[in-house]
Amino acid sequence: MKPRLILGIISIFIFTSLLMFNFSQNISSYVDFEQAALSSSSRVHVVGVWDADKPSGFSNETMQFTFYMTDEAGNSRRVVYPKAKPTNFEQAEQVVVIGEMKNDVFYSNEMLVKCPSKYNDGDELEFTQAE
Amino acid sequence: MIGLIGHYAIALAFLSSILACIFYFRTAQNGRSSDEHIAYFFLVVKGSLIFLASGILVYLLFTNQFQYFYVYNTSSLDLQNVYLWAAFYSGQEGSFLLWILFSFFVCLGIVRWTGEDYRAPVMFFLLLSQVFLLSMVAGIEFGSFSLGASPFPTLAAEMPNAPVFQTNPDFVPADGSGLNDLLRSPWIIIHPPILFLGFSMMAVPFAFAFASLWKRKYNEWIYPALPWTLGANLCLLTAIFLGGYWAYVTLSFGGYWAWDPVENASLVPWIFGMAGIHAMLIQRSSSIAQKASILFAILAYMAVVYSTFLTRSGILGEASFHSFVDLGLYNQLLLFLLVTTFAGLGLFAYRYRELPSPDKEAPFISREFLMFSGSMILFLAGFVIMLGTSSPVLGRLFVANPTPPAQEFYNAWMLPFGVIIGLTSVVAQYLWWKKYNAETLSAALITPVLATSVASIATIVIAGIDHIAYMIFLFGAYFSVIGNGMIMGRLLRRNPRIIGGTVTHIGFAIMMIGFLGSAWDSPMLDQETRDYNAAVRAGEITDDEGFPVNQTIDYIELELNEPKLLDGRYLVTYKGGEIIEENRPGEQVYYVEFKDTEGNEEPFVMEPVVYPMLANSNTGAVEWTVDPEVRSGWLSDIYLYVAGSSMVEQEMEKMEKESARGGLPSITDMGDTEDEDHIEIKRGSQITYGDYEVEFEDFIHVPSSELPDNSIIGVRAQIHVEHKPSGEQETVSPMFAIIEDEDGQLSYSPPVSFVEWDATLQFLSVDPATEQIELRFDGITGTPMRDWILIAGERKPFVSVVWLGTFILMFGFSISIIRRWANQKNREKNEKRKKQDEPKPEQAAKEPV
Repeated sequence: MKPRLILGIISIFIFTSLLMFNFSQNISSYVDFEQAALSSSSRVHVVGVWDADKPSGFSNETMQFTFYMTDEAGNSRRVVYPKAKPTNFEQAEQVVVIGEMKNDVFYSNEMLVKCPSKYNDGDELEFTQAE
Repeated sequence: MIGLIGHYAIALAFLSSILACIFYFRTAQNGRSSDEHIAYFFLVVKGSLIFLASGILVYLLFTNQFQYFYVYNTSSLDLQNVYLWAAFYSGQEGSFLLWILFSFFVCLGIVRWTGEDYRAPVMFFLLLSQVFLLSMVAGIEFGSFSLGASPFPTLAAEMPNAPVFQTNPDFVPADGSGLNDLLRSPWIIIHPPILFLGFSMMAVPFAFAFASLWKRKYNEWIYPALPWTLGANLCLLTAIFLGGYWAYVTLSFGGYWAWDPVENASLVPWIFGMAGIHAMLIQRSSSIAQKASILFAILAYMAVVYSTFLTRSGILGEASFHSFVDLGLYNQLLLFLLVTTFAGLGLFAYRYRELPSPDKEAPFISREFLMFSGSMILFLAGFVIMLGTSSPVLGRLFVANPTPPAQEFYNAWMLPFGVIIGLTSVVAQYLWWKKYNAETLSAALITPVLATSVASIATIVIAGIDHIAYMIFLFGAYFSVIGNGMIMGRLLRRNPRIIGGTVTHIGFAIMMIGFLGSAWDSPMLDQETRDYNAAVRAGEITDDEGFPVNQTIDYIELELNEPKLLDGRYLVTYKGGEIIEENRPGEQVYYVEFKDTEGNEEPFVMEPVVYPMLANSNTGAVEWTVDPEVRSGWLSDIYLYVAGSSMVEQEMEKMEKESARGGLPSITDMGDTEDEDHIEIKRGSQITYGDYEVEFEDFIHVPSSELPDNSIIGVRAQIHVEHKPSGEQETVSPMFAIIEDEDGQLSYSPPVSFVEWDATLQFLSVDPATEQIELRFDGITGTPMRDWILIAGERKPFVSVVWLGTFILMFGFSISIIRRWANQKNREKNEKRKKQDEPKPEQAAKEPV
């Protein structure tokens, strides 16, 4: 075997292991609020929908946007987001909050808003005006 | 009816592309020109049909035929013409159509400009990918199985169960649901076409690589493929730039790049394309990269297909801000991906042993070895990004239900790759133009190393960079700018047409500097908020329940005309806002004045915009969308948006009132109603009206000479108005009279104007029994106005440098395309001459390097 080939194989091996290790460290699982409460990570992801029936709004005093979210297991919790309400929030068919759970309140540092495509659920479509 | 024509046009185009594919295959096998003529005929038929279908779709959009599902979903009456074009490719089906249309032009180019050796097999593979793309929009049904989603079905066909079609099958909605407001931006109109042009061109090196494997002509394919690959990369770069710029100036996340899967989807093909270009360039002089150039050409298009799969199959789901929802194309897209992958890698493996290998290893200090390493690094960088993007699929190896990786994952890996690319690009450039050994090379590199060190240290000290990784990254970028710059200087004197490589390297390195600099973005805050944030970071703030607060505040509130000092430098004043309705109904603009207390800049006013959008999903809900304002500077931008305001809250209240009255809120009505209100007041009494104190002092008798003709009775009311905050006051005496004519009695109450304020007052009625009168103010509001806005401002250093680097990179690509194109033309000419001069081979012209 040529030395350069051996060197190449070793470096590919090291590169791949390092990459996969680092990759596995940088991803986490989507959880529900109850699992989030048990997690010690400050970057847990919870998927859910906005609970439009409960109060929500931006407070000028605390500079926070607060709303209730129901996760996929059906738990509803208050979520605090230290920024303005994200664009398309009301339209979102799904919200992903990233942050940590403290005392039954979820402190979200990042929020992803998944908007409905214009293509699904055609039957529920509302027409703006009927002729 | 007309939609049906479009539908059949696509279906027939699908069939013709299959036929063209078959005949190009036969041509490639037997070389008969009669077969090639038939194949070309079907190609043109396919192209014409696609033109027809696209024309029909454009026609339907421009004539607002909302009975069609696609038109209803992507367009609306209020769209300007230019956005109707954008509506054409704003949905999945239309964007596939556009991609297919561009691919047709690329096919024509290949037929026109490619020599006989490769033409038929290349066309075969191009058309094969066309067959797959067309199958996505074919809309052909076989029983319960349907192939592709056509843009032409009607609403009624698409949702037969909708109640409205049960009662009225001929129902046509009066208006479409419209193009998303965020997409109504000039940048986003040109972004998709350029992206799809890039995708179409990226199929060319892929097809050439396949053809070379098939026909066992492993060497010559790179010459015709190179300009196409460069062109594809130029297009992708331009598209990525437009997308990034759009995100920066339109969305409120405040950056140009977020490692979102959709963004990565266009970046990875670009990086693989770059790896391929470098491999192709080495291949001309050494067989070290023979395998790599074929492999990268295949991988670049595979990355295009893979990205298409990720973004359009719905598999990314919650991982991305803006992935498409599955249109039922999942299986088709997966098949496309699997066929591309297995055919590509399979054929590559099948021919692997035959592929030429270098006779001896390239020495370490050789342009071949260094460039090969460079292209391997590019490949690895693309691979890492692809791994991260694939986390919803590949993350399952580690955790259940995987999330996308944190952005740090990408940043941490790209940093060393960037450094290596910066360093090797210089050394490889030195070796590219001149032969060096270890000693002479070191001597030649002394100057750039010294210059880079001085520049780096100066920057590190001045900018206060305190992280070793950033220092190394900066060194790598500077070294690339300086080293490549020195070579470029030398080349310019020789022949300006050959500087493409150095220019692209400089552009890339300048981008790297921009990336590094833009990591120092910071919110613009006043001292109070900064102190609060510092306390939060120190863990000193607790909330009501005693838990430590760990979220900092990046906003400040500004009250009208009350300046705050931001960043210890800018005196920022909210000067007011208004409803302008310039581009969208209900659009509001705010005027925020910045005064530089250090006196380096003239005072300027920034005008961020906020506009309401009716939510599609939730009838009646209005959401407010921000349109940030960016003030670009050479070294630093100021980025500003309004996160909330009293004006927005008032509009919301107004809408709530309206919907309580039973009417649906309508954003077109917003802002039309002026500040007006009625008050009722008794003689001698005082009431508070907003910021004003209003006193009805007394009635004043009006002599009949002052009354209008036919008046029965008339009276004036003496009204004293005081603006409490300012102390301004004024007394006016509006008149009320009753006039009698043939039609009966009319009231006459002309408004009187105030001198102090831009407002009027009307005396509307009087009740003689209680001595109570009714007044109407116009221009003075009844609610005490606390006029405030929340602003999120950010310093964005070096974003302009990123753009500058991008432009230089584009320029470099363009130079290279021209050179490689000319190169290929020359080569073809020489080949022909060589064939004519066959008996005297020693005189055959040598190809230029």
